[in-house]
Amino acid sequence: MPAQNSAAVQERGGRMVGKSVGFERTRRITGYLVGTLERFNNAKRAEEKDRVKHGA
Amino acid sequence: MPATIIKRDGTPVAFDATKILNAITKANKAVEGEPMTPTDLLFVTEKVCAKLDARALSHVEEIQDVVEETLIQYDYAKTAKAYILYRAEHAKLRNAESWLMDVYKKLTYAPAASEDLKRENANIDGDTAMGTMLKYGSEGAKFFIDNYVLPKDISAAHQNGDIHIHDKDFYMLTETCCQIDLIPLFKNGFSTGHGHLREPNSIESYSALACIAIQANQNEMHGGQSSPNFDYAMAQGVAKTYAKEYKKAFAAYMQIRGELTDGETASLTKAILDALPMRPRMAEAKAFGCALAALDYARLIPEETPPCGRAAQGQADQDANWEPDDFPKPRRAQMPPAAIRELAIAAHAYAASHAQKSTNRRTYQAMEAFIHNLNTMNSRAGAQVPFSSVNYGTDTSAEGRMAIRNLLLATEAGLGNGETSIFPVQIFKVKSGVNYNPEDPNYDLFKLAMRVSAKRLFPNFSFIDAPFNLAYYHPGDYNTEVAYMGCRTRVLGNVYDPARQVTCGRGNLSFTSLNLPRLGIEAKGDIARFYELLDAMIDLVFRQLLHRFKIQCAKKVRNYPFLMGEGIWLDSGALDRDDRIENVLRHGTLTIGFIGLAETLKALSGRHHGESEEAQKLGLEIIGHIRRRADQKSEETGLNFSVIATPAEGLSGRFVAVDRRRYGVLPGVTDRDYYTNSFHVPVYYPIKAFRKIQIEAPYHALTNAGHITYVELDGDVCGNPEAFETIIRYMHDQGVGYGSVNHPLDRDPICGYVGVIHDVCPRCGRREGEAVSVEKLKELKKIYPDVPDWE
Ligand SMILES: [Zn+2]
Repeated sequence: MPAQNSAAVQERGGRMVGKSVGFERTRRITGYLVGTLERFNNAKRAEEKDRVKHGA
Repeated sequence: MPATIIKRDGTPVAFDATKILNAITKANKAVEGEPMTPTDLLFVTEKVCAKLDARALSHVEEIQDVVEETLIQYDYAKTAKAYILYRAEHAKLRNAESWLMDVYKKLTYAPAASEDLKRENANIDGDTAMGTMLKYGSEGAKFFIDNYVLPKDISAAHQNGDIHIHDKDFYMLTETCCQIDLIPLFKNGFSTGHGHLREPNSIESYSALACIAIQANQNEMHGGQSSPNFDYAMAQGVAKTYAKEYKKAFAAYMQIRGELTDGETASLTKAILDALPMRPRMAEAKAFGCALAALDYARLIPEETPPCGRAAQGQADQDANWEPDDFPKPRRAQMPPAAIRELAIAAHAYAASHAQKSTNRRTYQAMEAFIHNLNTMNSRAGAQVPFSSVNYGTDTSAEGRMAIRNLLLATEAGLGNGETSIFPVQIFKVKSGVNYNPEDPNYDLFKLAMRVSAKRLFPNFSFIDAPFNLAYYHPGDYNTEVAYMGCRTRVLGNVYDPARQVTCGRGNLSFTSLNLPRLGIEAKGDIARFYELLDAMIDLVFRQLLHRFKIQCAKKVRNYPFLMGEGIWLDSGALDRDDRIENVLRHGTLTIGFIGLAETLKALSGRHHGESEEAQKLGLEIIGHIRRRADQKSEETGLNFSVIATPAEGLSGRFVAVDRRRYGVLPGVTDRDYYTNSFHVPVYYPIKAFRKIQIEAPYHALTNAGHITYVELDGDVCGNPEAFETIIRYMHDQGVGYGSVNHPLDRDPICGYVGVIHDVCPRCGRREGEAVSVEKLKELKKIYPDVPDWE
């Protein structure tokens, strides 16, 4: 959210949370789940990026 | 003679002619047919020294050149050759040593985010002190194994990427994994090596001890740990909890409604419950009530039962020491038998209902704690949590069902603020007649499992009805139900002991994978050539697996105080501390794996098995061939050689990187940063879910050491329970052994939303990194109770 908006909310007495907090993306590699893509090794990051969905 | 020599690193040290003498002696001893007497040895050494003086040489490499030259000059050709080899070998080691030091530098100074080496395994945090310590040990061990343990050709095959020896750092130490039967382990308690634990007596302690057992075993092995019969094991804890809850509630009711003292309550409750032919059990509440009603209460009250003590005491005494417990109550002995019967029947109704409810609540909490513990408990010096798996779904007892249902519900709810739990890997065992069909006793749990999986990625689904699993199945015997370990390992058949084709107490000893695409590239389209290369590589892997097996066999029970000392591994209970584990290890599997069938087929035929029927036929032939070779080797050795569809986390990038350097970028083969997992249809290839399952299913039958098929669904299909069930049922019907559905699972830690998040969170509307007002979150909390508190 732009700083201006945030300041406006502050004026109305609102506190802001979540700045620079990312989303968590849980994925499965080899069979184990991994809580965050950051821990994937390079090859697995590439593989995850390439995954296409299978229509039912 | 030079006074000093210059070492490789530039430092000067005093010259010592005996070093030259020793080196020549060693080289000469290594060859036959060229004996040198001590005089000969001294003569050559003196000649070397003289030359060094004459030419004013003092660098160690120069000295070695002169030694070679002098040996050749005086016709010691063989000794010269041995000396050259010895020099080369040492040079290689020195290079390798500096290579190892480079690795250590990377581990020490590079953050995991920029250093792939630190992210080899996604569930180990390479940035922590213990994670790094583990890597130092691991890299040092690999160096040692490569240079001092492995036969040269095998070491070379690993290093150049022909094969991959998994967990090579543990080569000298232990085995991969084990399927732990908690039931016999819990009986009479066990020792972790750091203290004895009594037999657990409530579902809470069953759950806690299950975690401890998994952790203790993980610390003695290099792979994961599984509970193949988690529901059956937890059911016993549920039953104990129920019985206690029942007794407590029964007594409480008797005491309050009968206005009894503590002592009267205890003796009367005991008299009644002991007189019954059965113990309180969840599924038998009704029968228990009938038995209770049928008791002869007149005979039940023994005459010698003392009257309560208060009547004998003086009133003044009571007033002075008044306690709530001592409040005058009617004496039990004064109560007519009919009234006691009536009281007991009412107490039963209350106790049965209360015990059911409170056991259910406690079971939920215990399963929740189990998941929390397995996601937070440290193992291996804190570098990781244990790699754990639990299999369940087939126990149809009321207690087993309660354990399954609550484990699923706790999984669905998630950790703390609704986070998805990473461990344990959960596997729901599907079996027709048990839970697959609507009329089956655990069908409701199968439905629940699918609902949870659609939300949390777990449980996965294993299929006992797949013919290769069904072959071992005996109804009612959990030991014959297939279980899968962690990512996919399967251990069930047993060539060594065909009477023990069981799940519990067994695991994989070690496994090594083939770089299948490289063989495909090297064959240059010649299928016969491909099989020649494949056979040679299989031979090498078998030799390597046996080399490692021999090392493992030399270990003793004392090396595995928990795994073997507590009798978890099959038959190890009969061994003494100093016995070798060779014979019991034979129950385990020696496994050959493979990676990149798709790329192999591309290299051989131009198309992969998702693209062409011909390629599929060839793919099945290739994997079938590997399987036949493993079966033959089993026959020949009496050991469980088996084939796994390798999980290949670290490997998917390693092989392709080496091959791209070697062969360049080959379209469909080396043009991506990974080789496709085992027999999977490539992840980038668009294909319908059903078709993918159809293509991959036959490989499950061939890969007896483990396999898995994934289907990737988008959020919408996944949110549709019918669609999800259709896919799981299709896997079952096609003969898949083990499968799961992948779907994007994102979470916004700020508003607690779990599901698919593209750029903007659908719940709170923020983008990644943006702030949102607490006020807005408070508003959202009115609609979604799982929004975290931010005040
Ligand atoms: Zn949000």
